[in-house]
Amino acid sequence: MRTRWWLLISVLVALLCFPPQWYPKSLRLQFAQWFGVSSYRPLPESRPPAGETGEEPCPTDVLGWRDAQTIEGVEIRRSPTCVADNPHAIAAFVRGTNNVSHQTLMKSGLTPDAVVKGRDLDGDGDPDEIHIRLEVVELNGGSPELQQPVTQFAIAPGIKPGFWVFAPKHFGMDTENFQSLKARALLRLPSPVIRIEQGDQVRITLENGHYMPHTLHFHGVDHSFRDASGEGNDGVPFTSEVPVLPGQARTYDLNPRTAGTKFYHCHVQPHVHVMMGLQGLFVVEENRPNNWLQTLNIGAGHVRVPSQAVKEQFDREYDLHYMDIDSDLNNRIQRFNDPRLITESMHRRYDVTDATSDYFVLNGRSFPYTFRESLVIVRPDERIKLRVANGGSNGIALHTHGHTVTITHRDGIAVEPASRITRDVVWIATAQRLDLSLVTTNDGLNSYGSGVWLFHDHQSRGVTTDGIGPGGNISAIVYEDYLQDDGWPKTYGVNWQPYFTEAYYRRQTPVWESYAPGLFSEPRMDGWMIVRLLGFAIALGAVFSLVLVASRHPERW
Amino acid sequence: MLKSPITGNAFLAVILGCVAMAAGASQQPGPAQTAQHTAHQHNMTLDSGGVVMNSNTDVLPRDCKQFGPDYEFTVSAGTEFATDNPGTVYGFSQHEFLVEPCSRVTITLVNKDQVRHQWMIHGLPRYLYPGGMFHLEAAGGHSRTGTFIVPSDHQTYLVHCDVAQHMEKGMKGQLKVGRGSGDLWSIPGVSGNFLADAYVPEEIEWYVGLSAVAAFVLTTLLLLRKRFF
Ligand SMILES: [Cu+2]
Ligand SMILES: [Cu+2]
Repeated sequence: MRTRWWLLISVLVALLCFPPQWYPKSLRLQFAQWFGVSSYRPLPESRPPAGETGEEPCPTDVLGWRDAQTIEGVEIRRSPTCVADNPHAIAAFVRGTNNVSHQTLMKSGLTPDAVVKGRDLDGDGDPDEIHIRLEVVELNGGSPELQQPVTQFAIAPGIKPGFWVFAPKHFGMDTENFQSLKARALLRLPSPVIRIEQGDQVRITLENGHYMPHTLHFHGVDHSFRDASGEGNDGVPFTSEVPVLPGQARTYDLNPRTAGTKFYHCHVQPHVHVMMGLQGLFVVEENRPNNWLQTLNIGAGHVRVPSQAVKEQFDREYDLHYMDIDSDLNNRIQRFNDPRLITESMHRRYDVTDATSDYFVLNGRSFPYTFRESLVIVRPDERIKLRVANGGSNGIALHTHGHTVTITHRDGIAVEPASRITRDVVWIATAQRLDLSLVTTNDGLNSYGSGVWLFHDHQSRGVTTDGIGPGGNISAIVYEDYLQDDGWPKTYGVNWQPYFTEAYYRRQTPVWESYAPGLFSEPRMDGWMIVRLLGFAIALGAVFSLVLVASRHPERW
Repeated sequence: MLKSPITGNAFLAVILGCVAMAAGASQQPGPAQTAQHTAHQHNMTLDSGGVVMNSNTDVLPRDCKQFGPDYEFTVSAGTEFATDNPGTVYGFSQHEFLVEPCSRVTITLVNKDQVRHQWMIHGLPRYLYPGGMFHLEAAGGHSRTGTFIVPSDHQTYLVHCDVAQHMEKGMKGQLKVGRGSGDLWSIPGVSGNFLADAYVPEEIEWYVGLSAVAAFVLTTLLLLRKRFF
């Protein structure tokens, strides 16, 4: 057949396949005037829900870690939340790992020199010589043989960005057991809250078992620039000391004269290392008699053995550590195994000035995991102390539903009672700490009464996990009459099951499908439209080809 | 200028998923441990110098008729043993251990660093070694000694330090009983990495892509120049 006929057929096919959506609106209206409106064709049906079951929201507390208990004479409060810290470790942090029985130490997982408590220097009934040993642990790191991260710590279902954290010196495996890739409970984000007493003689040894250099820098905690032996004590590589290289250790000396909620972090390449998770709260408690402090609070959260000064004024105390994470930085440790390549990628290729955060965590977890361990549990007419730190690169507009909070301290320094302000949104800049007083008196100002009241960053991205909501740092103030025995709150809204699936945070689940499946499920693909578009593309290609052939070979026309 | 994460053989990697455990653990499946590693189920000593877990100097595995020879290894551990293997940070003075079936093996772990290191072996019979493991841990500057007796099978066992990232960054070894059962991956000085880093410029994909396009255009021109142009 002649080229011209083929050309004609191709043009016709292209025109027939050209989808109506691509015509100018005015042209379509004109067509409708001539030929009437398009005929009815049923729209695609909804896909059935995938039905992924997901994780158990509140895992059973097999080992009884939530219970109120007395270990080594330490009265440990009941943990109201679903997931609690190891009470044997808490007892060892209070007594000192050098002062507890072999059995408690074995159950704590700590080495005998992890938290050593010495003499009572002021004779007031509690030890004032404290020696803490911290290690640097990589979570969700790379491996030369596994396709998934090792020493895993998930911030939300299926979400495992790389982290570096400080962790107490411990013995044995870093995973739960040899069959598991999950990090053991002591190793997690955030780095532990350090609690010491004003005037204590504190030594903190950094045992750097990581593959990069690190230091400790005490932000806002009273310390000398150099210690008694002339060694650097400020943790800054280009002013005070050479960083602690892999396999090495260094001890820092502190003797804080002022109390308050402070901060600590690594100061090597801090724009990278601090954001990797090498940061924690540092609380200097006021000096009181018989003040046996829980020297470390693993993963922050509920303080199960509060200080004497806090007990004088408050019924409960919670440590709340906020962070935001740029996965483009944190996941670089998973892309290479050679430390030289990792170092180059993180410290030279990565540009923090182009950074955007995608994960927002409270005490190392995002919603819904925050509800397992970072709820603020209250009863009516209580006074609650919240120590809030923002270790992220962005500010936080912390909003409390149903309550107002009063700022009593800023960066650990008391605000004069006359100038204290009470509000329902508090702004916390990067590295700032606020001590908040939450009063649960139902008076329409402090509290609107019992319930499950959210608290979260009110900036939109903060309540998402890489843009998927609900996620981010959402947690809740929960009154005990709204709490089940297992520590999970009684909620009256939608089914939470989708939030406990990896698919939801991989953007694979329609957000309202679980409660309105017919209405909001994903529609099936329109196969005919795909055929039509492909037909158009092929016909158009044929048109060009035929024109080319005809122009080169007029005899075939 | 170096560093493209080229991880070829992705399909192979999926099949081989848990290579680390291949030789060591798979032979003794045992009941899955779900709870936290509870220390008291092991026979173990712990003090500030370190840990010795599941040491066994005299009980012969069931499949052994009599003792094989005795072996003693003094293994030093630390950053100084990484210098011979570029791209690692930690290492052992020896990454491969060869012993006869049913032999008694005594390991002395000497830690040359100021941080904890371990010499841990997996996949031993669980009725003798709870969790199938024998484990030495030495605090910085300390050493620890322990003994275990290997079964009669010709088998390769994983040896490593389980401090986070130490195995990945060089503290990995293997113990071969008899002929062993092949080599494990990524043993410094013995075997290669399964997921190998590519030491090429990050922009390599562009260079490769542009080269391919240029080759295509040139070839086409050469082949078709008579017919069309
Ligand atoms: Cu650092
Ligand atoms: Cu090690």
